[in-house]
Amino acid sequence: MSASGGTAARGRPVELVDVEMQFGDFLAVERTSLDIRAGEFFSILGPSGCGKTTILRMISGFIEPTAGRVLIGGEDMAGRGPNARPTALIFQNLALFPLMSVAENVAFGLEARGMSKARRRDRAEELLALVGLAGQGGKKPSEMSGGQRQRVAIARALAVEPAVLLLDEPLSALDLKLRQHMRAELKQIQRQTGVTFVFITHDQGEALMMSDRIAVMRRGRVEQIGTADEIYARPATPFVATFVGENNVFRGKVTGLDADTAEIASPFGPLRGRPGGRLAVGDEAMLFVRPERMRFANGTIPDAALPAELLRRDLEGSFVTLMFAAGGEPIRVQLANGEADSAAEPGSRHTIGFAAADARVLPAGGLAEG
Amino acid sequence: MTARPLGDIPPIGLGAAPAATPRRRRPSAGIGGFATFRRAYGGGIAALALLLCAFWLVVMIVLPQAMMLEQSLWSRQSAGDVSLRIDRAYTEIDLLRFDLQAAPAAEKPAMEEKVAALEAEIATLEAQEKEPPKVYGLQNYTRMSGLHFYIFVKTILYALLVTLLSLVVCYPVAYMIAHVAKPAKAAVLLLCLTVPYAINELLRVYAWLMILDYQGVINGFLQTIGLVSFEQKTWIPFLESPAAVFVAMVYAYVLFMVFPILNALQTLDRNQIEAAQDLGASTPRTHWRVIIPHAKPGIAVGCIMTFMLSVGSYSVPQIMTRGLSGDWFSQLVYRQFFVSNDWNVGAAYSFALLIVCIVFIFAVMRLFGVGIRDIAK
Repeated sequence: MSASGGTAARGRPVELVDVEMQFGDFLAVERTSLDIRAGEFFSILGPSGCGKTTILRMISGFIEPTAGRVLIGGEDMAGRGPNARPTALIFQNLALFPLMSVAENVAFGLEARGMSKARRRDRAEELLALVGLAGQGGKKPSEMSGGQRQRVAIARALAVEPAVLLLDEPLSALDLKLRQHMRAELKQIQRQTGVTFVFITHDQGEALMMSDRIAVMRRGRVEQIGTADEIYARPATPFVATFVGENNVFRGKVTGLDADTAEIASPFGPLRGRPGGRLAVGDEAMLFVRPERMRFANGTIPDAALPAELLRRDLEGSFVTLMFAAGGEPIRVQLANGEADSAAEPGSRHTIGFAAADARVLPAGGLAEG
Repeated sequence: MTARPLGDIPPIGLGAAPAATPRRRRPSAGIGGFATFRRAYGGGIAALALLLCAFWLVVMIVLPQAMMLEQSLWSRQSAGDVSLRIDRAYTEIDLLRFDLQAAPAAEKPAMEEKVAALEAEIATLEAQEKEPPKVYGLQNYTRMSGLHFYIFVKTILYALLVTLLSLVVCYPVAYMIAHVAKPAKAAVLLLCLTVPYAINELLRVYAWLMILDYQGVINGFLQTIGLVSFEQKTWIPFLESPAAVFVAMVYAYVLFMVFPILNALQTLDRNQIEAAQDLGASTPRTHWRVIIPHAKPGIAVGCIMTFMLSVGSYSVPQIMTRGLSGDWFSQLVYRQFFVSNDWNVGAAYSFALLIVCIVFIFAVMRLFGVGIRDIAK
């Protein structure tokens, strides 16, 4: 990939200040504030219908928020249509113009800006080179593969030199292998161009891998904003804990609470973990432990010890997933392949547990309905 | 028809429209097509369908056109000359008979022979006068008078203008219904467009007559606000202008333009429009570069239908002009057939019109860069 298309960092920050979006009776986005930094790869992660696309459309200007303000580079975007904003959107289905050649597609934004034909052609060729499609401008989009079309869409969006690139699940139509490849490529293009990327996805793996920061959304509300590590290690709500990555869940009332330990009374007896969110003694709470944090309690009894029967052992290559049943509840344990306990036989009984520092106790409120 | 389900054989009819996948190739017509058809529906039904298609093609389309073409290529030799010769022969016979009374006996047989010869000639001439011989040639086409040719050209120009007007009116309407209006409103709009078509075309045209007449709705309104007066006949003579015909025609054929364009526009992915806007294109540019190119096949079909309907329309100009603002060619054709009773010239005129229509179809397809297959969609 040539560096010719890369220019100095030109990303701008995007601020959503108390925005709200109401469609008739339906509140698509509750009062939300987001602060997306210049040149950042920012993902909005959530299940379908959570309002993430609505936020994207508010930033791009296709809809105006019913309340609040959208600022890009400090400028209020109120009343400015999508063609007057320094943003470019990559659609889920890419929306390439099928009747135009690839080069015409890429140059379309420049044509709209009145650039001369010759300069347009040069610039389109430059951008196609940036995305690894040098010399293919004469083709029709229909003559290209899915991955190539993806790159054309990226080149077309970058052609207008946007300060913010908005991506609406553009990888969801690709097969797994291509998707993984395009993730790396998108990340590289983002670094190279310095453009602020706002990436919408329902795929947590995608968000974790690519993003500088992630906002996890549910039902029109942002549940947590943070780096991938923060989101994964310290989920703020039960929803984030279950939506991002896998988690074992234990329910119970809070019986003890101090600054760094919370204890709940679970059917397995008292369990302890790090407290998160607003907890009070007597509240219904949930304790989450990642499968890879679960251990066999051989001698060194951790903070919790659960007698369980091994139901199934799935070898997944570098690691092994063990499916246990403890008191009727399924528990997943993930161990590195080759670790001492990873060869346990299905049907055998074990005591499994986890360290309190690896568990997270969160107020249960709200998850039951979702 | 009872189709026999036979596994997953694709339902291929004769001249079936291309299936959902846009790039799938059309099933090859002819023997192969018929074989698939027979396999899917059985020999009896396949044969019946083929027979009906052939009947339709030959009896409804080819034969009448062929007869028209044949009719247009000959005329009866003018009878004027023959009648004169018959009259002359009768006079000569009368003279000979008169001379015969005083003629010498020796000359009588020769004169009587002459009379007999003349009588024989009269008989053949009279037969000829009754049934003049056909003369084949292009005379029906080439003998069009200057006035008729003027009307011919004028009608084509008018029909083009009506087509253009319809396009200008219908494209925004179709676009509104397809992409701007909310679904419920779009349905109402569509209903409003369709409802007038439940009424007879003549009544719709008469409605326009009543609106545009000297003492019609518009002039009535103008009188109410004091701009014209019926007593002083200062009304605006809308009907004396060809525009009256245009208005009624655009109204009469609006659906034939709206629906093809609407169909084409409805297949346009909304994201395409949004993508163009997002990339900074103004509304006109979005239409010019993205929406209109997509709607081209629909526009082509709409233009072809509207042009053919308006260039051949008889009732609209007949009712709207009432002879006040010049004939359309279709009226001339009618008069050749039913007033002059000259089917040969009538056939030639209508055939000329058909040729214009065919030329128009190819011109439009060329202009919009669409093929028959795009149009069939």
